[in-house]
Amino acid sequence: MKSAEVTLSAPTGLHARPAGELVKLVKGLEGSKVTVTCGERSVNAASMLSLLSLGIKSGTALVVSVDGGEEAAALEAVVKFIESIKE
Amino acid sequence: MIVSGPAFIWRRSASQSAVRSFDEAFALVRSDLSLQAESNPVFAAHLEMLDDPMLRDAVQEGLQSGLSPSDALDAARDGIVAMFEGIDDEYLRARADDVRDIFGRLRAAMAGESSGGQVQMPGGCILVAEELLPSDTALIDFKALGGILCHKGSSTSHVCIIARAKGVPIQVGADISGIKDGDTVQVDDPLSGSLQSIASRARASGLKVYVNAANLDEIRSGLAAGAEGVGIFRTEFLFLNRSSMPSREEHAAIYREALLACAGSPLTLRTMDIGGDKDLPYLPLTAEDNPFLGLRGIRFSMLHQDVFIPQLQGALDAAGSVRELHPEWFEEGSPLHLIIPMVSKAEEILQVRALLSSLDPDYGRLLELGIMIETPAAVLDAPALAAESDFFSVGTNDLTQYIMAADRGNASVGYLYDSFAPPVRRALELTVRAAHDATIPVGICGEMASDPRATGILIDLGFDSLSLSRLEPIQ
Repeated sequence: MKSAEVTLSAPTGLHARPAGELVKLVKGLEGSKVTVTCGERSVNAASMLSLLSLGIKSGTALVVSVDGGEEAAALEAVVKFIESIKE
Repeated sequence: MIVSGPAFIWRRSASQSAVRSFDEAFALVRSDLSLQAESNPVFAAHLEMLDDPMLRDAVQEGLQSGLSPSDALDAARDGIVAMFEGIDDEYLRARADDVRDIFGRLRAAMAGESSGGQVQMPGGCILVAEELLPSDTALIDFKALGGILCHKGSSTSHVCIIARAKGVPIQVGADISGIKDGDTVQVDDPLSGSLQSIASRARASGLKVYVNAANLDEIRSGLAAGAEGVGIFRTEFLFLNRSSMPSREEHAAIYREALLACAGSPLTLRTMDIGGDKDLPYLPLTAEDNPFLGLRGIRFSMLHQDVFIPQLQGALDAAGSVRELHPEWFEEGSPLHLIIPMVSKAEEILQVRALLSSLDPDYGRLLELGIMIETPAAVLDAPALAAESDFFSVGTNDLTQYIMAADRGNASVGYLYDSFAPPVRRALELTVRAAHDATIPVGICGEMASDPRATGILIDLGFDSLSLSRLEPIQ
């Protein structure tokens, strides 16, 4: 399993549209289970409802973990996507 | 805006057919949503939620513990809704509506109801509903509506966003008990899409649309709602309700956040506008007979430089650190627009410039310096002030009060406090002309910018930007 920390900079926090795109990205990563941890809660990144339920605010540090599949490449893709969320 | 018209009570039309199985219901709702998702991103998000593992798992869990399919749906719905309603974020709390809507569709599909087309409504009617869900909006012919009266819902729910984007006034939290079809009812919507419609009108005439903000949250929500920058960022919140004065570092941290939130769009940061009417424990102020003609705005700042200088330093620090991160935001001039309140003569601008120079001789690369036009003196001497300023912004509330010599809080002279009065109009003309003769931009903040009756006048006068009191989100 590989993990990395990433900070969400989108000014209004994580909203439905970017969360939906993140879910699409995660579902396309074959064989990888992706987990997002915010504070004490960890959720499956393939579930938009779970991601939204974290109530992630701008400037929050998240830990992304990837288990299985092309771990390093998957981790990089997810981290890059979260960093790129601007709305 | 208040509108009235005959009530039309909302009823979901339901034509019964055979009861469907759980999987059939899922499939039916998915195909409905897929069609609607093509034209509406809200339903694309709903489609995503329908297939969400959390939703499926929650329903399966209920079924496995022996609940009937409809009870399993309700239990799953209640669990997920409670989770969203517990989030400390108004936007995300409103997503509970989306979850209820999806489960509502599933239940209806299982009960054999089929979704119909748009409901026929008489023109100009007021739609009266206990609650309107996102899926209902597809059935509403907004063009026919005079307004919407809704008992449940929040002002950030989809139905409000859609109604305002379509220019239909909507009131949520209304008492609708006892209203019958055809009764004359009233909708009171102070927001009523007028701010968004002012914004579109101004943009269509080439004006920039900014938003007013008094804290970081208001900056973020204004930008998220489509503002092209912040027309006035009031900084008094940093000074009030505390026992010691804010430090340079505190100023810098807040302004840095604000600049990053603006991401290269203009941030018009108003320096402290404090006067004898405010009570600051760390700064004993003497009571004045006439505070509005006394020590306030830049007059106060120049007298209390120990409070003012940390603010200027904080602004320079913030711009410097953001410039290192994002030099591209500074290529066509700094996004940090520092604006001085209550200026009456050009010397006051020169004094601030001298202060800035003493802090950083090359401050011009970090910020633009402009002034509020809110005193009659500033209007009458606008050409001289324009020569020393990088931009102007008119504060119509104080300007109206000073030009008409009428206290806006005093009801007995309320008939004189009128931003549409000819002397105020003349002041706006003089200000715009002086700014444009000096080739500097001139904007307007204050309540007049957010008054739909003024939009046409302000466009005709030649203002370059409007800063609205707030902006409702559009999605």
